[in-house]
Amino acid sequence: MFGRLIRSWGARVAVEGHSMAPTLEPGDWLLADPDAYRDSPPRVGDLVLVPDPRQPSRLLVKRVAEVADGALFVAGDSPDASTDSRTFGSIDPASVAGRPRFRYWPPRRMGRIS
Amino acid sequence: MDLLRFIAPKRSAHAHCDIPCGVYDPEQARIEAESCHRILERYHASDDDVFRTRCIVIKEQRADLVKHHVDVLWHDYFKPEHVEQYPDLHDVCWKASKQASAVKQGTDLDAAKKLLALIDQIDEMWKGTGGPGKTRMAR
Repeated sequence: MFGRLIRSWGARVAVEGHSMAPTLEPGDWLLADPDAYRDSPPRVGDLVLVPDPRQPSRLLVKRVAEVADGALFVAGDSPDASTDSRTFGSIDPASVAGRPRFRYWPPRRMGRIS
Repeated sequence: MDLLRFIAPKRSAHAHCDIPCGVYDPEQARIEAESCHRILERYHASDDDVFRTRCIVIKEQRADLVKHHVDVLWHDYFKPEHVEQYPDLHDVCWKASKQASAVKQGTDLDAAKKLLALIDQIDEMWKGTGGPGKTRMAR
């Protein structure tokens, strides 16, 4: 438990952009579990941190919309404000960098996220 | 605010749409197509060869801009769910692009009218999919 907290602290991220609204808003600070998908790959509906296939140094936060032949199709919760697998195609599950679990900022929105 | 700095994430997780500003409006295409129409009117009303040549040059530039703006709407603004809502979306955008080429190539005023009508069809789909509220800033 404590180990997971330390790992998540190292994997904290700030949300930018509106594509995950209303689940995540710009300015939300999240703790993510980098090992969440180590033993079992993400399933439909899970939040994921994934590298942007077009620019791998850039991290995206999206939701798994579909799993087909082991590949993930990710989408934003707010489709009109989202660039996602509709544009850049499927994601290799092995590239997933973590699972956002908890919003620790802003205080009024603090809590688990899914 | 040192604490805040300490707890602030070092990395961003982007929930963006593309860098694109997300501002779309068929009005851009419409204005360039109106230019084509107006230029063709003046072209046909003139017997000055130099002026007519200039008309053709400018009209071709404007028609090219129409094509560009239609393409941006088609490729960037419209999403798969919009095609579900408007099954003829691809067809209309395709025809508008083709029609912009026709206006670029010729001097037929009716071709320019047809182009305006096609852009208006795109405009309807843009409005019907919430374009004005989603892609333009409130004034």
